[in-house]
Amino acid sequence: MPRQRVSLQPRRSGRRARAASENLTGYLFIFPSVLLISVFGIFPVFFTLYVSLHKWRIKRGRFIGLANYREMFGSPLYLLLVIAALACIALAVYLIGRARGKRGSLSAGSGVFLLVIGLAALALLLPYLARAGDKGMFTSLRVTVWYSLGTVPVQLALGLLLASFLYQKIPAKQVFRVIYLLPYIVPSVASAAVFERLFSLKPESFANQVLALFGRPPAQWLLEPKGIFFLLSGERMAVVSESVIADYWLSWAQGPSLALVSIMFFNWWVFVGYNALIYTNGLSNIPRQLYEAAEVDGAGKLAVFFKITLPMLSPTTYFLTLLGIIGTFKAFAHIYVLRHPAARGEVDPMSVQIFFTFFRKSRFGYAAALSLLLFAIVLVLTLVQRRIMKERVHYG
Amino acid sequence: MVKERSPWLQAVLLLLLILGAFVSIIPFLFMVSHSLKTIAETITRSSAIPFDPKFWPRVPQWSNYRVAWQEARFGLYFRNSVIITAITVGGIVFTSSLSAYAFAKLRFVGRDLIFTILLSTLMIPQTVLLIPNFIIVAKLGWIDRLPALTVPFLASAFHIFLLRQFFSQIPNELIEVAKIDGATHLRSLISIVLPLSKAPIFTVVFLSFIYTWNLLQWPLVVTQTPRWRPITVGLSMFITEAGPETHLRMAGAVIAVLPVITVYFIAQRQFTEAITRSGLKE
Repeated sequence: MPRQRVSLQPRRSGRRARAASENLTGYLFIFPSVLLISVFGIFPVFFTLYVSLHKWRIKRGRFIGLANYREMFGSPLYLLLVIAALACIALAVYLIGRARGKRGSLSAGSGVFLLVIGLAALALLLPYLARAGDKGMFTSLRVTVWYSLGTVPVQLALGLLLASFLYQKIPAKQVFRVIYLLPYIVPSVASAAVFERLFSLKPESFANQVLALFGRPPAQWLLEPKGIFFLLSGERMAVVSESVIADYWLSWAQGPSLALVSIMFFNWWVFVGYNALIYTNGLSNIPRQLYEAAEVDGAGKLAVFFKITLPMLSPTTYFLTLLGIIGTFKAFAHIYVLRHPAARGEVDPMSVQIFFTFFRKSRFGYAAALSLLLFAIVLVLTLVQRRIMKERVHYG
Repeated sequence: MVKERSPWLQAVLLLLLILGAFVSIIPFLFMVSHSLKTIAETITRSSAIPFDPKFWPRVPQWSNYRVAWQEARFGLYFRNSVIITAITVGGIVFTSSLSAYAFAKLRFVGRDLIFTILLSTLMIPQTVLLIPNFIIVAKLGWIDRLPALTVPFLASAFHIFLLRQFFSQIPNELIEVAKIDGATHLRSLISIVLPLSKAPIFTVVFLSFIYTWNLLQWPLVVTQTPRWRPITVGLSMFITEAGPETHLRMAGAVIAVLPVITVYFIAQRQFTEAITRSGLKE
């Protein structure tokens, strides 16, 4: 026995030594990345939380607990009620989604019921929360939502349209691909500088020349804080009522400001080509046999599109939708260039609002609290997206 | 889906695609044409349609570029951007290939956990990191100095992930053989793995080059004088603060765009592939 042990000893310790040296090499190799990402990517998340609990104007002030968060939302009661209403809506959507296909099931009925309750509660409570809370933040939330609604569907629709053209047998395909991606890769400060001229209030600017073609007088474009539905209605949708609820929803009904719509044009210009390219990728991943089978069954073109192409593209669509929505929460460079003081903050989504709270007003603590709210929203969106993706991928 | 089509339909498709390409390009033409106008022409003789003679200058004012480069300091900003981008891209390739090799080919305690934690940082929006990082960098005394613009960006979880995906596909036998020959891991990374990974390394270089060159928010916050201001910040300040000098703005925009477009056209195939596969971060 002792002999055996002796003979095993060097091999085992050799292996152990090798494992130890591999451990050491591994740590040495990852050390630079781990150090940098820890200091500038992980620690800051906790540090933001710390900052947000203080009065912090350039230099750290006193500890104020949740006061920054209270300033954001005004009343904790309304906040809790609004979150409950949102949770109610989320649950309803989940129930309805699960019951889809199973006709007349109980959960669908209760889902619809919950949805109505949740929406009604939200409609009644949100105005009071917005009045009690930080006006600037709620404006920026409204701007972010409008910006998402005004950009993501257009990016997707035009992107898919271009992709379906690009997918056909056409000459010089690569040339088109290169050109369509061009707006996406250049610094947006530079391209936004051009759009700032194209959408200026001068009568000879591009946007006003287009209006002139239709015999309309020049508009203010990037300098116009008024909502487009308000403008289109001949400025008849003015806020006159005394009711908090009516006032609040009227501010929504007036629509995104014309200034924000001008910025949407820029967003479309940048992202339609990008989405088209991603969609072309998705299209080429659809198995050919599906189309052949559909042809054998004598399916029409529209049926093929809605029954095969669109469902098979749904992972791509979900990916691009989330990317687009999160993009509006992060949007900065182009808005920084295109925003004009005359638009009175009606073009600032959350990211820009946070930046100015921090950079111009030097309210570090409050801006940190705002940024954590943004983080929470983006995180929820990402998790919802993950869930949907998981279900869809199994399904597709 | 691809079937024999009538030539008419084919022509209409092509026409629509050309129209789309035209929309993508017009703003660039506007940039170039207006950078060559006199200041008077940008006010009185302006149009946004390239077929209109008013879109173009009567006589191209090449001297605008000299003025932009020197007096508007775009030369200095350009130089800063080049230095910042070169350091950052070099740093990212260095740190990411080392880490990716470790995560793909080495066994060490806590490897998968550390990798997961690094990956999860990709979900954190830049806005959340802005304020704490500013405070950290200010504490380090880096405001208005080169490290503030480079050090926080020298490592990237995104690029580690990208390279690790590729490194994992390289057969372990190659590394085992090298090890028997007495090669260290550093040696096999440099002489075996990297030469086999030219395409993904190019991808990392392109994507980080564009990302760094185009960055605005962070450099805006950490530069207070022109000393290390990159061209994006210089240009944005010129737009938000200067008067009606459209011709100089556009010259600045051309200077900012040119390096990106040049690199893009040289390596267009890799670029379109890389971006459709992974997307830029912002």
